[in-house]
Amino acid sequence: MASTSPALPQPALSQPRRTIDPQYAVFLIVLGIVGLFVLYPVLVILVDSFVVGPIGGARNWGLDGWRAAFTDPTMLSAVRNTAKVLVANETISLPSAVLLAWLLARTDLPLRGTFEFAFWITFFLPSLSVTLGWIVLLGPQNGLLNQIALALIGKEPFDIYSFWGIVWAHISSSSLSIKVMLLTPLFRNLDAAFEEAARCSGAGRWMTLTRIVIPAVAPGILTVLVLSLIRAMQTFEIEMVLGPPFNFWVFGTKIYVLVAQVPPEFASATALAVIGFIIITPLIALHRWLATRTDYTSITGRERSQPTPLGRWRWPIFCLVALLTLTITVLPVTFLVTASFMKLFGFFNIASPWTTSHWGSVLNDDFFTHSLMNTLIVAAGTALGAIVLCSLAAYFTVRSRYLGRNLLDFLSWLPFAIPGILLGVGLLYVFLGNPVLKLLYGSVALMMLAMVIAGMTLGTQILKTTILQLGAALEEAARTCGASWWYGFRHIILPILMPTLVLVGVINFIAASRDIANIALLSSNTSKTLSLLQLDYMVDGRWEDAAVVSVVVMLVTTGAAFLARLCGIRLGVRG
Amino acid sequence: MAQAFVQLERLNKSYGPVSAVTDLSLEIAKGESLTLLGPSGCGKTTTLRMVAGLEKPDAGAIRFDGKPVVSIADGINLPPEKRNIGMVFQSYAIWPHMTVAQNVAFPLKVRRVDAATIRERVRAALTMIGLGGLEDRPATRLSGGQQQRVALARALIHEPALLLLDEPLSNLDVKLREQMRVELKLLQARLGLTLIYVTHDQSEALSLSDRIAVLNRGHIEQIGAPRVLYEQPATPFVRDFLGKSVTLPGRVKSLAAGRAAVALAADGNAVIECAVPPGLDLAADREVEISLRPEAIHLANGQAGALHGIVEAVLYQGERSECEVKIGASALCVYLPAGSDAAPGDKIALAIEPNAARLWAKSSGVA
Repeated sequence: MASTSPALPQPALSQPRRTIDPQYAVFLIVLGIVGLFVLYPVLVILVDSFVVGPIGGARNWGLDGWRAAFTDPTMLSAVRNTAKVLVANETISLPSAVLLAWLLARTDLPLRGTFEFAFWITFFLPSLSVTLGWIVLLGPQNGLLNQIALALIGKEPFDIYSFWGIVWAHISSSSLSIKVMLLTPLFRNLDAAFEEAARCSGAGRWMTLTRIVIPAVAPGILTVLVLSLIRAMQTFEIEMVLGPPFNFWVFGTKIYVLVAQVPPEFASATALAVIGFIIITPLIALHRWLATRTDYTSITGRERSQPTPLGRWRWPIFCLVALLTLTITVLPVTFLVTASFMKLFGFFNIASPWTTSHWGSVLNDDFFTHSLMNTLIVAAGTALGAIVLCSLAAYFTVRSRYLGRNLLDFLSWLPFAIPGILLGVGLLYVFLGNPVLKLLYGSVALMMLAMVIAGMTLGTQILKTTILQLGAALEEAARTCGASWWYGFRHIILPILMPTLVLVGVINFIAASRDIANIALLSSNTSKTLSLLQLDYMVDGRWEDAAVVSVVVMLVTTGAAFLARLCGIRLGVRG
Repeated sequence: MAQAFVQLERLNKSYGPVSAVTDLSLEIAKGESLTLLGPSGCGKTTTLRMVAGLEKPDAGAIRFDGKPVVSIADGINLPPEKRNIGMVFQSYAIWPHMTVAQNVAFPLKVRRVDAATIRERVRAALTMIGLGGLEDRPATRLSGGQQQRVALARALIHEPALLLLDEPLSNLDVKLREQMRVELKLLQARLGLTLIYVTHDQSEALSLSDRIAVLNRGHIEQIGAPRVLYEQPATPFVRDFLGKSVTLPGRVKSLAAGRAAVALAADGNAVIECAVPPGLDLAADREVEISLRPEAIHLANGQAGALHGIVEAVLYQGERSECEVKIGASALCVYLPAGSDAAPGDKIALAIEPNAARLWAKSSGVA
């Protein structure tokens, strides 16, 4: 600035040439990748629903699949069952989650930070592990709680292999916790002045909550509900374990048996999947509409108020929340771990029921160590891939004005609507149909790809929210300072996004390490992961070994969550 | 005016069906300080962002020193980083993951200046803006005023040819804003900066600029020195946007030698004489409007032709009182000296400074 300072290299206003915008090139690459691995499998599925005949055999056009989908009573009942589980689950978990989120975010509930963390951990517990734990507790005949009840009241009140058993497994494994995770920041960021104005106008605590606070966050609650509706089409593992014993099938498990049975009925499976798309697509549109309508100005995060005092209800409510939290976290986990040390899964009444032999045999099995390595490789690769793809997709959707950014936004939603098992089928088609990609079949790379695609929606949405809140000025300032787009993206956007990127990485790491549906059809014997090994053991009736593997999967997922927490990653999707 | 350093040539920009900037042209001399002033949505920020390269115009061209940085007709559009500008954003856009020094050093780092030079220049820049010693403070731990200064230092450190400021003072409290206004003025004079300043605050525009361009609905209403705009507004919009003014309906009583005597509708006995602006076609008995600045109205000391009204409200301001006076169906704003003891309901007689009133065609006023 002072004239004595050394001259700076000033970029000359050289006569510009028409060159390819590097930002646009990156955008096209991202759009191309997402298009190939999302849109293409979907198209393959759509086309295949009109094809009759086995893969490799004579294949003709036909409507058999569609006919079956609309006439086969088991298919119709699968759709009906999906809806029934959904309604029962949401009726219980949504109001509970709203109340819990408010308690955690806006009141003086003791230990509310700990509770929030507990819900976070619950979300990351593999649902298969939780379900195994509940089988130990609530299984007919041997279930521990049933045996206690038998001794006390003379009958067995619980049966986990039932409609309500499935609903309970959903609520306790992730349905409640994901809603609490999403809603708590919403309540927390609500401008405190709304509440204070209500109190000053003479409204009591309850009136303020029901007339002011909940209506103010209603759009957010609705968004979460729509998200749950979309998610419901994807449920798989819980129904796969608990449903077949009483012949109860839902959308996801029905598609799985159609594909996995011999000979597979691809046409019916794909027709069912297309019906799923048709149900889900308007829900996605509704969700996007709701999300864009959310008025960020009312959610400022400024002026944090004093937490609402709960008064004499403080400790009774604390006890209730503590009981609930323990029930959905400590209880199933404890009994899963217990079961892994039992001679016979869930049999507490035999003589000397305890043993470490299952741990010994599983841990010494080469197959186990190999699967553990595969799990860590797939999970780490997925985390890395998701960070790169989601950050670019989110960035372009929010910031760019390129033609095609709306397509990218839509494509980033689509994996959410594809049941994991079908994404697997679709990718299988894509890879087997291409001589180069075919080489990747059965490798961990293909599984990583499937997981990156499957996790794309959540990661992109989280990053989109963050980028929207950052605003464009931070990046524009870099441009006016003389930085190119790519330089600014690396030095300004990425570092600022880093905590969110790590969060996305952790979520995807955990999702990949516990996933079954997306990769079940893509793995080979050499690329099996722990969760697939666990499912194999369960199918073979080796419940004790399954429990051991399940505990290890749980350690991997919760370990990653704790590590993230230690690195200072804040809970949930905080604004 | 010296030879134009920045030229904006027939810029157009619309967002969907909404036209933000229409056929806007203007020139800025080297070392000149120009303010784009207007209400929100008038296109001033869009214009600034097109100069910065953050928006691409639909049509038109912008030239720095004769060379086009954007010219739609020629297919030229330099990205912001190639324009050698500095910009201060309304939100400051201080990067939260960097320290004060890292923020300020960024433009030099991008230009691959060696570390020793960077250190020296950052220290000099921070000292100049009064933040010496805060180099290692995380940028998030700065007050609004400090962030503003850091943003300014960052925009200036690479000695840009042109400094762009987008409502830089609007997020500061009143005291700080007045202080920063003085500092900006001093800095501009000292460094001889060419700058374009966007604001909706007319007192900022009047005090900081060599020239002001008043924008309304995407076009320039009037451009000129602050004093010219204030004293000789060309359009009712400029008149009403810059400073306070009152408009009174009246009727031309007589015309003579380029001057008109206007009888006020509110008080037929009061006749105000004013110059007829060029281009205004007048005849006797024509209905017109006259506009007055409050500072041109005083308490009458028994002169003839005084306006008689009733005090409606008195707003005490410390150094003076603003007084709302009702005259017939019209209302006037008058500044009374601090010692005045006017109270609501009082009768009051007002005199108008000669040559202070401006004549306008009827009902041209835009509130």
